[in-house]
Amino acid sequence: MPVRDAVDLRLVDIPLREVVELVRIDLPADQMEPVLERGLLPGSQLSPVRRSPSGDPIVMVDGTLLAIRREVAHCLCVRRPGSTGA
Amino acid sequence: MALFRDPSCHPDAGGGVLLADRQNADEVPLVALVGPPNAGKSTLFNQLTGLRQKVANYPGVTVEKHVGTTRLPDHRALELVDLPGANGFSARSMDERVTRDVLEGRVPELRAPDALVLIVDSTRLESQLMLVEPTLKLGIPTLLVLNMADELEQRGGAVRDDVLAERLGVEVVRTNARAGDGLDQVRDFLIAVADRGLLPPRPCPALSNVVTGTPLPMVDQFTERRRRIQEIGRVSGFVLPRGSRLTEQLDGLFLHRVWGPLVFLAVVILVFQSIFTWAVPLMDGVQILVAGSGAWVAEWLPESWFRALLIDGIWAGVGSVVVFLPQILVLFLFLGLLEDSGYMARAAVIADRMMYRVGLQGRAFLPLLSGYACAIPAILAARTVEDERDRLATIFVTPFMTCSARLPVYALLIAAFIPEQRLVGPFLGLRAATLIGLYILGALTAIATAAVLRRTLLRGRRDSFFMELPPYRIPSARSIALRLYDRSRIFLRRAGTIILAVAIVLWFLTQVPQSGGAAPPIDDSALGRMGQMIEPALRPLGFDWTIGVGLISALAAREVIVGTLGTLYSVEDPTQGSLQLQDALRSHLDLGAAVGLLVFFAFALQCTSTIAVMRRETAGWKWPVLQFSYMLALAYGFAFLANWLI
Repeated sequence: MPVRDAVDLRLVDIPLREVVELVRIDLPADQMEPVLERGLLPGSQLSPVRRSPSGDPIVMVDGTLLAIRREVAHCLCVRRPGSTGA
Repeated sequence: MALFRDPSCHPDAGGGVLLADRQNADEVPLVALVGPPNAGKSTLFNQLTGLRQKVANYPGVTVEKHVGTTRLPDHRALELVDLPGANGFSARSMDERVTRDVLEGRVPELRAPDALVLIVDSTRLESQLMLVEPTLKLGIPTLLVLNMADELEQRGGAVRDDVLAERLGVEVVRTNARAGDGLDQVRDFLIAVADRGLLPPRPCPALSNVVTGTPLPMVDQFTERRRRIQEIGRVSGFVLPRGSRLTEQLDGLFLHRVWGPLVFLAVVILVFQSIFTWAVPLMDGVQILVAGSGAWVAEWLPESWFRALLIDGIWAGVGSVVVFLPQILVLFLFLGLLEDSGYMARAAVIADRMMYRVGLQGRAFLPLLSGYACAIPAILAARTVEDERDRLATIFVTPFMTCSARLPVYALLIAAFIPEQRLVGPFLGLRAATLIGLYILGALTAIATAAVLRRTLLRGRRDSFFMELPPYRIPSARSIALRLYDRSRIFLRRAGTIILAVAIVLWFLTQVPQSGGAAPPIDDSALGRMGQMIEPALRPLGFDWTIGVGLISALAAREVIVGTLGTLYSVEDPTQGSLQLQDALRSHLDLGAAVGLLVFFAFALQCTSTIAVMRRETAGWKWPVLQFSYMLALAYGFAFLANWLI
């Protein structure tokens, strides 16, 4: 059985208020740019601060509150600070 | 003014191309305001130009370029252009295309700007500075404005402007554009622009505004850029401010699982109920003014064809539309408060999942909501929708949203045919419920249409959705007042042009052919005959020829039908007075036909301005023709059903 790599952690798995670091974005290249322009870059510190009534995450990144869909949050691979992923 | 010139960035200050070389001496200098969405560009623009323009605490509100003139203290003029907010110049959305084209001087009617004011929200400086590199790369003299500096300080944030200026190689000023703080420093920069003494930014070692060889992969480009920006932030001592406590607490309520949607619903009901109750005394006041002034003028004029035209044509026609001004203003007051307070962005988040299911996305929420005021700005606002198929779908369904031009028609018919009864305690009456029902009918049809479109003509992959949630702010009375003033002007200008013209033409059509020097009976007049010609087609809907005339005239703009009927019925029976329209209507329509007429207006694309803007935004006749036919078919079909069932 393959060991679950720390990189397999996705933003959707992170409990509210925990600060994590973005490691990789699993989106097709043509959908990448809007994500990057909003500061969701490998190395960004982000923290889910709330869920919308429909359950989509609202994250704090670089002092900005950003609402994203959970489909996108599924594509954001993150790691906890101190862990040695990637 | 001593302009900052960093020696490391300007090694040979004498060798640069001076701004003066770029301009003809007699041209008024042009300065463009650029920045990310919601950084305060429009507020600054308003402060500098005094021109009215839509400003809102909602990302992506400035959808067209706005040009205004500012006067410098020495009376020289300078042109400012306010560009749509951009996160980058990749030109993925139509908004970003507009911004990039203006900056690169590719818009035919606008030359390339002589200088830029890059305005950023200083409370989230690092993410906002991502735009600084692509901006400076344009090689145009630039001022960096750190806006909302008061909020930065209040919430414990900090940055050293001088270091920032040194590292970036541009001049930096702090402002609080809403309060007007720091504007003098911005004006100093504008004076320098007018003096034509500015140098374009030089390639700066701290930034990669040097054109390099092989481009890096996109992710690396962004991470590299962010690394450079973070380094600049670090040396200039940037401290990210604490999150706003108020925003956190309010979001706890407005985005709560249970309370969030309930508040959302309550807000919608409050808006609709208020335009039907609080606006009424004001409307009564305007009605008394119109009737009183008409009677007063009639008394002073001798009996003549001119008096008939003025009183029966113009006063009755234009007056019956002007009466609805208070109602439209109350609606815009609420929309303004919701946008400027920051609530609207939350409403978009609450709505996104539902919109996603029907084939739209959360960014379509603002266009669709603006559609409740007017489809034209709404269709332009759809430019913020990043995916082209999403944008087309949004544009196509926007005219189903109940625009304020339908409100006069609904208001008249509801008041005439729906009895005032309490439904739910003192809060919801039958009339308000009917109005809400019409709004829901439009919204549901829009949803169904979008769902069908995304499965047929506009099939394709779904783009992702991102929504920045700005901090809650107390709306500024000045901004709201400017917007209401602007709305009144637009509404009254329409009343004074389109509606006035239609009223005059209609009145003449009631006067010909003259028999023995007198006007013919109304049903023998040219207008009456036109109505009778299309009457057979309208009979199944329960409409007579007067409604037919109304529908023809409403092709110019929906609310014109109110003025037309005002003119028609007052001509028909001069003793009745133009403002007893409701009684007159009741003698022409039964309940089924009245409901049919309401439904007809809910669906039909009775607006030439919308058709024109559709053609422009979709670059062709295909979409407007398709949309007009589709909406007419729906309108006819459902009006027929209503008349048949009731």
